[in-house]
Amino acid sequence: MTDFKKIEENLKKESKRLLEAGDVTVVLAYGKGFDESHPMPYAAKAVADVENIVFNEYCNYNMARYLVRYPQGTKIAIAVKAADSRAVIVLIQEEKVKRENLVILGIPVQGMKNPKTGEIIDSKTTCGMYNPVLYDLLLGEEVHGSKSASPYEVLMEYEKMDKDARWEFWKKELDKCIRCYACRKACPMCYCDPCFIDQSKPKWADKAPQSPGNMMYHLTRFQHLAGRCIDCGECSRACPVGIPLYLFHKKVAKECEEMFKQQAGMSIEDKPVLVDFRVEDSDKILE
Amino acid sequence: MVKKITIEKISELVAVLMEKGTLLAPVKEVSGHNFAQISDPQKVDLNFYNTIMSPKNAFFPHKEDFVKYKIGKSLAEAEATVLNLKPTFLFGVRPCDVKSFEIMDIHFNAAGIVDPYWRARREATTIFGYAYDLSVPLDSADFYNTLGIYAADPEGSDIFMVKKDKELLLKGITPKGEKLLGELSSLARVSSADENYFEEYIKRGKEYKTRFTCVDAQAIARKLETIFDNVDFWTKMSSACLSCGICTFVCPTCYCFDICDDTMFGKGTRSRVWDACMFTDFTLEASGHNPRTQVYQRLRQKISHKYSYHIRKYGVISCVGCGRCTRHCPVNIDIYSIVEAALKA
Amino acid sequence: MSNNNPYIPMPVQISKIVNEVDTNDIKTFRFTFLNKEDEQNFKYLPGQFAELSIYGKGESPIGIASSPTQQGFVEFTVQRAGAIVPGMVTSALHDMDEGGEIGLRGPLGNSWPIEFLENKNIVVVGGGFAFTTLRSLINYMLHKDNRSRFGEITVIYGARTPGLLLYKDELALWEKRDDIKSVITVDKGDETWKGRQGFVPAVCKEVAPSPKNTVAVICGPPIMIKFTLPVFFDLGFSKDNILTSLEMRMKCGIGKCGRCNVGYKYVCSDGPVFSLAQLEELPRDF
Repeated sequence: MTDFKKIEENLKKESKRLLEAGDVTVVLAYGKGFDESHPMPYAAKAVADVENIVFNEYCNYNMARYLVRYPQGTKIAIAVKAADSRAVIVLIQEEKVKRENLVILGIPVQGMKNPKTGEIIDSKTTCGMYNPVLYDLLLGEEVHGSKSASPYEVLMEYEKMDKDARWEFWKKELDKCIRCYACRKACPMCYCDPCFIDQSKPKWADKAPQSPGNMMYHLTRFQHLAGRCIDCGECSRACPVGIPLYLFHKKVAKECEEMFKQQAGMSIEDKPVLVDFRVEDSDKILE
Repeated sequence: MVKKITIEKISELVAVLMEKGTLLAPVKEVSGHNFAQISDPQKVDLNFYNTIMSPKNAFFPHKEDFVKYKIGKSLAEAEATVLNLKPTFLFGVRPCDVKSFEIMDIHFNAAGIVDPYWRARREATTIFGYAYDLSVPLDSADFYNTLGIYAADPEGSDIFMVKKDKELLLKGITPKGEKLLGELSSLARVSSADENYFEEYIKRGKEYKTRFTCVDAQAIARKLETIFDNVDFWTKMSSACLSCGICTFVCPTCYCFDICDDTMFGKGTRSRVWDACMFTDFTLEASGHNPRTQVYQRLRQKISHKYSYHIRKYGVISCVGCGRCTRHCPVNIDIYSIVEAALKA
Repeated sequence: MSNNNPYIPMPVQISKIVNEVDTNDIKTFRFTFLNKEDEQNFKYLPGQFAELSIYGKGESPIGIASSPTQQGFVEFTVQRAGAIVPGMVTSALHDMDEGGEIGLRGPLGNSWPIEFLENKNIVVVGGGFAFTTLRSLINYMLHKDNRSRFGEITVIYGARTPGLLLYKDELALWEKRDDIKSVITVDKGDETWKGRQGFVPAVCKEVAPSPKNTVAVICGPPIMIKFTLPVFFDLGFSKDNILTSLEMRMKCGIGKCGRCNVGYKYVCSDGPVFSLAQLEELPRDF
């Protein structure tokens, strides 16, 4: 079982070392919240900040989303779990951040929990991986021997629905949307400024929290994340009304992998799927 | 007068209210409970701590249509919405949320130009307040004691409800509430023991302690004015903030809105929808200038508005300590901690 | 407002369009009211604004450029916005002809404080497009019914080039009058320009109005304000006697939607006119 306390110790030790040596100007990690089960994303900028760093089973935050807030060239240390490391890889692929400016502190972990429900977070709502894909140091022992189900297993029920049933399903789910945009803000890959939904010329969708606008916003966002979403599940956890956004993202990711034979965020040598052209790319769309 | 009903039979009361007009009551949804217009009496569920979205929707809907227009036609042909409101019953509102209506009243119903939509809805509605269940543990995010509100305060409700084992005791607080209670003939009168229980419950409510810091309105207003330019403080407070809009949308006292024209095929509606000062482009001007481009500036605006500007303008803090913003914030930002830190800064 | 509902605009019709500048992106629109009752109820003072409403496009808060002494119509000088953020309403308005109908909500906001200005000398300083409500104030003060209530009136108005000066006909008339001292300048003249050349702050320094019993009313782009204020402080003007008009993004215009606040004041209802002393008390959030 993952030793959360040990990881926290190592995280604090490494953060202190990096800040003292001046190797980085900020460490993106997790910090104390108003109580034990409510930690917060935390940016440690001085050695004195390190004592506020924590790591426990509720530290689900994907710290990669804060990377774009710092000017290019800032030396940043970032604590990442499996999916978070994939997000960092996508941001490197998209040239939002340079590999040499990052010190990636990998956290292999099994047993993260959803604070709202207390349930273990697994491949049903996330990518299900335990070990970071890219890192400079590991803060704990890699998780071996635990087989997690495929991240697409949860789609088995979903894929039984035909096109019309799926449309009705999403219409019903997206009707609940209150357009708080927490999904967009929680996602590390949603860094566009301005976001399409905020534009008035052309006006892609209206602002009211109703079906036509809601569908337009979410379906477009799902498409914009094709080949980029690394299945961290943050969007679904952020949603205050419980829309299962992860289902659509997983479905799009599955199709993308089949068509382009590449998983999102697995290697910094890869090029983003919708930017790169290869002769052997699938012609499925022309069928 | 005080009356009662068994909680199992609540659908009977619900059915009566539905016949009298429009009923808004809590229903169970995927991630929690929310107020909804009731069409099926069985759907009302009083087994909740507090709803996800505040009940401000009853008076300040997420979308309020103003005018229906046709492109190319004269303005005289545009149809302004006429609110034909049936008597409305807002059922099961916690004391902190009831207090929020009073705070919003100052802004919409009293100061300067009166908002006709808020006033019409407010006047048409009877409020059934509902005391917190004192046998259920407190949610750590709540801090309504700090704002001078207690778990079983009846002020502001027309009828106030208190749980007694498997029963619900209802007491008329305002003349409007007394009158309605009198009309609900299916409800039984209570014994004097029950009446005592009711009064005792209200007293016991004061012992149900939430997080508390002594916050004097004038002192916090002044303090926030002095630390406005403390960029370090606000950067620290906002470093985790995603700048989404959840806190604003769940908050019972947030009232920022946008006015939008939505047109399709030559016809459209001008309506108002909720907006949030947390959104990046909230203050983006046509010249391209935006006074609040940074997250810390927007969080500073939110906190300063609630705990400083609102006090200077209307004399009261624009917060009731319901804890929703903290509970639903995706990164657990806690307004209570920020106010505490501000007092010490 | 129509039907006592402050959100519903009243219908007005374009009766005259004047192209003010040689870049063709600033026009003055003259509106007449389609309902006599609306016209009678539309009582305003210089400095106030109104929301110009076009269904399907939105609304835009524009300062009233005409003076209330001008009966039967109300004028707005509108710039077509579009350099950075596309202006839905202003573009649509610019594409309209005489006879076109739009909606109007107003008058909104506070005005130049006429009582405070009475029996004082007034120095009006404007730059570029920000001259609209100043023109309203000047025409109000110059009107025969009002002139005697004010002391000496000085106007210092500058634009980048001669072609960008607004209200050229009126400027020429003011130069001829002896009850107003009119100082018009451009940053850069052209072959036909025979007037002054110089930035507004520098011209203010030259003109050097006395602060004695005088109020300065200053409107202009941020860069002009930044360099003009020190000139007036050096001349001895106190912050209570320097007035300006703020611009913020607005929506409802009636102090309800929460968008346009600077500190605890809503620019649309507590402003847009503020004295510098009042602004100093507010956080620098604009």
